[in-house]
Amino acid sequence: MTSSSIPGQGDNRWAVDPITASVIQGALESIAVEMGYKLMRMAYSSIIRESEDFGAAIVDVQCRQLCESKQSTPLQSGPIPGYIKGINRTLEARGEKIMPGDVIMHNDPYGGSSHGPDVLFAVPVFFDDKLVGWSATTAHHLDIGSLSPGSCGIVDAMDVYAEGLQFKAIKVFDQGRKNEMVWHMLRDNIRASHLVVADMEAQIAASRIGAQRFITLIERYGLEIVSAASEALMDASEKMMRNAISDISDGVYTATGHIDGFENSEDPKEKNLPIVVTVTVAGSDMTVDLTGTADQINLPINMPFEGTVDVAIWLTVRSILADTATVGHVPQNSGLTRPIKIIAPKGSLANPNFPAPVIARFAPGVMIADTLMRALAPAVPKQISAGVGNLKVIAFSGLEQGRHWVHMEIFEGAYGGRYGKDGMDAVDTLYANTRNNPIEDIESHLPLRVDRYEMREGVVPAGKWRGGIGAIREFSFLGDGGYSVEGEGHLFKPWGFEGGQEGDPASLRFDRHDGKSEDLPSKLPYRVAKTGDTFVAYGPCGGGYGDPLARDPLDVLDDVLDGYIGAEAAKADYGVVIANSVVDDAATSKLRASLTSA
Amino acid sequence: MKLIGVDVGGTFTDLVLTDTTANQTIIHKVPTTPHDPSEGVMAGLIELCERNGIDRTEIDHVLHGTTIATNAVLEHKGAVTGMITTKGYRDIIHIGRHQRPEHYSIMQEIPWQDRPLIKRRHRKTVAERIAPPKGEVLVPLDEEEVRIAARELKAQGVESIAVCFLFSYIDPSHEDRAKAIVLEEFPEAFVTTSSDISPQFREFERFTTAAMNAFVGPKVRTYVKNLAANIAASGLKADLHIMGSNGGVATAALVAERPVLTLLSGPAAGVLGGAWCGALSARNRLITFDVGGTSADIGIVTDGRFGEATARDTSIAGFPLMVPMIDIHTIGAGGGSIAWRDAGGTFKVGPRSAGSQPGPAAYGRGGTLPTVTDANVVLGRLSKDNFLGGEMTLDGPAANDVIVAFADKMELPVHECAEGILTIINASMANAIRSRTVQKGIDPREYALVAFGGAGPLHGAEVAAELGISEVIIPPYPGITSAVGLLTTDHKYDAIKTEFQVEGDLDLPRINQDFDAMEENLRKLFVAEGLSDDEMAFQRAGDFRYAGQGYELRIDFPGGRVDDDLMVSVFNRFHEIHLGEYGQNYPDTPVELVNVRVTGVGQMPKIQAAVVDESTTRSLDAALVRRDSTMFRVDGDLQTFETPYYRRELLPLNQPIPGPAIVLQKDTTTVVPPTCTFSADRSGNLFIQVGEIK
Repeated sequence: MTSSSIPGQGDNRWAVDPITASVIQGALESIAVEMGYKLMRMAYSSIIRESEDFGAAIVDVQCRQLCESKQSTPLQSGPIPGYIKGINRTLEARGEKIMPGDVIMHNDPYGGSSHGPDVLFAVPVFFDDKLVGWSATTAHHLDIGSLSPGSCGIVDAMDVYAEGLQFKAIKVFDQGRKNEMVWHMLRDNIRASHLVVADMEAQIAASRIGAQRFITLIERYGLEIVSAASEALMDASEKMMRNAISDISDGVYTATGHIDGFENSEDPKEKNLPIVVTVTVAGSDMTVDLTGTADQINLPINMPFEGTVDVAIWLTVRSILADTATVGHVPQNSGLTRPIKIIAPKGSLANPNFPAPVIARFAPGVMIADTLMRALAPAVPKQISAGVGNLKVIAFSGLEQGRHWVHMEIFEGAYGGRYGKDGMDAVDTLYANTRNNPIEDIESHLPLRVDRYEMREGVVPAGKWRGGIGAIREFSFLGDGGYSVEGEGHLFKPWGFEGGQEGDPASLRFDRHDGKSEDLPSKLPYRVAKTGDTFVAYGPCGGGYGDPLARDPLDVLDDVLDGYIGAEAAKADYGVVIANSVVDDAATSKLRASLTSA
Repeated sequence: MKLIGVDVGGTFTDLVLTDTTANQTIIHKVPTTPHDPSEGVMAGLIELCERNGIDRTEIDHVLHGTTIATNAVLEHKGAVTGMITTKGYRDIIHIGRHQRPEHYSIMQEIPWQDRPLIKRRHRKTVAERIAPPKGEVLVPLDEEEVRIAARELKAQGVESIAVCFLFSYIDPSHEDRAKAIVLEEFPEAFVTTSSDISPQFREFERFTTAAMNAFVGPKVRTYVKNLAANIAASGLKADLHIMGSNGGVATAALVAERPVLTLLSGPAAGVLGGAWCGALSARNRLITFDVGGTSADIGIVTDGRFGEATARDTSIAGFPLMVPMIDIHTIGAGGGSIAWRDAGGTFKVGPRSAGSQPGPAAYGRGGTLPTVTDANVVLGRLSKDNFLGGEMTLDGPAANDVIVAFADKMELPVHECAEGILTIINASMANAIRSRTVQKGIDPREYALVAFGGAGPLHGAEVAAELGISEVIIPPYPGITSAVGLLTTDHKYDAIKTEFQVEGDLDLPRINQDFDAMEENLRKLFVAEGLSDDEMAFQRAGDFRYAGQGYELRIDFPGGRVDDDLMVSVFNRFHEIHLGEYGQNYPDTPVELVNVRVTGVGQMPKIQAAVVDESTTRSLDAALVRRDSTMFRVDGDLQTFETPYYRRELLPLNQPIPGPAIVLQKDTTTVVPPTCTFSADRSGNLFIQVGEIK
């Protein structure tokens, strides 16, 4: 449509003018959006349709991501290129060929997958009998045949075999023919398979639509132009990231964070585990080195290097250096990750050896992201937040008329204070961005009651810009069932920045039907629940940013009027004197002066 | 019958008067008065009557499109609002769905936390709790707590209160009782209940919708009351009706109670106007394409019917909104869209717009950024001297300067760069149309594109070509299509109730009872407005999904009692629609009925087909203003064409004219590319046959 007489930009292998490149970018993005839209709307389980724990992307033959769906969660779309690489390696090792009409299922955490429950379905895209790319979707499935119901909280798995079925480049459609035997096996080995299999079918339908649309795009512009545009778009994204990295002073930036691990373990190697991040910036290159991070353990909080660790790092760097709120929409593609090199010692939590278990790697990955932000904080103090509160998932399950029900609820965290802004309250954090389930949906379809959902009070981390506040969410069982817990952030407080207070950790209380009460650790394998058993989950609060004595007294007043802090805390933490719902300016100045000199 | 449509835009208030007896239509424009838009409306009504010698007392209806509620939300200038909600759930509207609006951003804003509709200090909780599925009362309503909450809110200076209880869509009695108590304690307050505004499940979205209604309520109530009073005082006997987002009008009194229903009404009138114009040319499959300075609104009309947006897709200013609304897709692409080079060097256009202040550089108001309008000027497509019928002169050199500067930055030849801006913006518009057609199993090539708004006719033909659409219709008055749309509306009210019933275990008597009750309620509304039975019609529908899914599809119910046979036909229709919408279905899976709905339509008199002035002075020669160079891309190359500029009102009727051509009229400019032909239709439309553009 546009003439090729227009000079291309940069050093693209094939010339494409910037106008056509921009048009193709828009077309690619709308393909991914359509895939995501269709998957989400067809899906059955709430973890996909309500929580939006799924991904969709188009990947080129070199396994580079060209676009991703906007609705999905970053931890799902980000790993797709790695999955495709894993499929290629596996097929090659087995001497098998990719054919038109194939649909390939993959969830191998040692072959690019993020973890077992995140199953990918990929459709190879052929044009003129040549493989030209992949259209793929990932989704978190309710159950994958692990040792206990659900696919979260399998925190006692001793290796990847205990985590459930492993699919290593399995052709569920072989040259267009459905491989029925595989589907029988899936139905026979997965709990709540009436939902899981339907979700898988939705993934395949969405992937096929993506493939069709990608072919239409190639027919319209020609393969050379589409390829050239893809190169140009990745180059542009790379350039943008390189410019942003160049703005950081060269140097070495380091930070250490800790995860709870298994609080009640008798083995000291299984708790209070360090995550160490060292960032080296040299010109437009960044190296993120996780050396110093704890050794791998025989419980499933190890993190696949490809699929979890890399994604946590890429997405955090991107959110800080190419923040959508500041630089506008930036196309998400593999170009963004080119300037970033990641190192993690083999045998560490961040690069485990097969067959170490990994299924509960979600919350430790948030800590990698948070520690990376902590390392970068002194370098880019106006682009980060103080310490971020970690997340938690509870898998609720039971049997009703011989059929399993499984419900996984993700409990939110909170962000730390930011330059010029308080932290975001009660949100999903960093590489995760799922949604909660409406109370009115949960109670209408499951034997559960949500007894409370409110903000915490009296625990607000002070700062010039205060930490984000966590929520309290309370669930009780209306029938007998079971549960398991997978989370982090019970033992360590999110970090404060430049004089801001540390955040407040999360906790989980269990009120038994018989009136007894106990505090639960952040990880708990499957236990039986009785009618009336209740969880009270206290979400974490993020760290404060800057000196609380420098906070605008009117902002302090707002927090008092809104009931987040008391008038006493206003005085003690902020030096702000409030009487009759107004700030006493004179008394405040005096108090602040005395507190500053003290 | 004489009807007047009044549409308040950002700059002008447009009025269209139609006399259905004499089949005569008159248009008029007055400046909008932003401090109080009703002043402009009144001035316009009076001027229109006076200038045309029309007796004010003869006007039967005034149909009004207003953005008063919309602007209150966009500018976040609403009432001090309070909430009374269920104990234990004070912060539902603050936590939302715990999802961040942006994936990749530390510094982002969360609208409901950074700009709360109701501050936490004004959210009071009271003991009460209802539970599904049948509305069991777990905790009775503590009336004394409601009374105390109402007094506290009054003392805190709150003007407006939303009562939001969990599961109120199953049983609204607690909310209704609480509202009554609040009004006893605080009679002057504006009080809204969530079950009245939107009785559907999903508490964050429903509570936010109720909060939004309460937030804009007092302002809209005052506006509507004053306007109705001023209309009466000026001697007009006309009834005032106001346009809703659902594509119908409602009485002023109803809008004063539920202003949230008007929040997305602006683009709705445009879709109606576009549909009416398409029908003039006997086209009943239409894509309406309404492009202004900052955004493009896209609607799909099939056989005279337009789709309704699903409750989960509608939002305003970042807040979700669960109210019936025409399915309109809005994107940030218009005449003011700014071209820019992003941090990675990629050529981008929009969504940021220069708006009307300063506007494109070509407006000569100090705009320094390259916009779509400037690109059109540089390529010769917008006439410097005929913009807005000569009311405004475009600054050609200024437009050229900003494009030259941008071309330097992009390292492109100037005209390539200008044309690139158009190619990119046209591609975004085409993508937006694809998302509403191709992606939903609709083939856009079977549709005609109705292009209007100030910039629609400039881009319509090229966007159509991009989509393989062969016909483009330019309405008679593209700039006031929304005002015309107001004169094509009916009364339209919606009722909805959540059911959660699954195939195989249906409670048919309950479904019948709910349909009957909803229909009866709507009937009463129409009767109160003086409509007779044969002037009203009711359409029943249900929102369905496969049991276990989270998103519903709307399926119409045939009339008559709901029985097993009828349900079978409805379920079959659902399987079909699911296949069309998503490319897949599951006929063996049970289907769940999530909501039942009734839409009531009460007939209104309407604008008739326009009569074109067939005077003998019409000819190509008479219409020709001048010839000038314009640039178009043909067969991959950007080429210069000697292009005729025509005055639209003098074009010969039904005579095919080859492109390229530029057609001038008072409210817009139409671009006909070289591969197209066009003709002035006897219906008053301009009709472009689109050739393939390569």
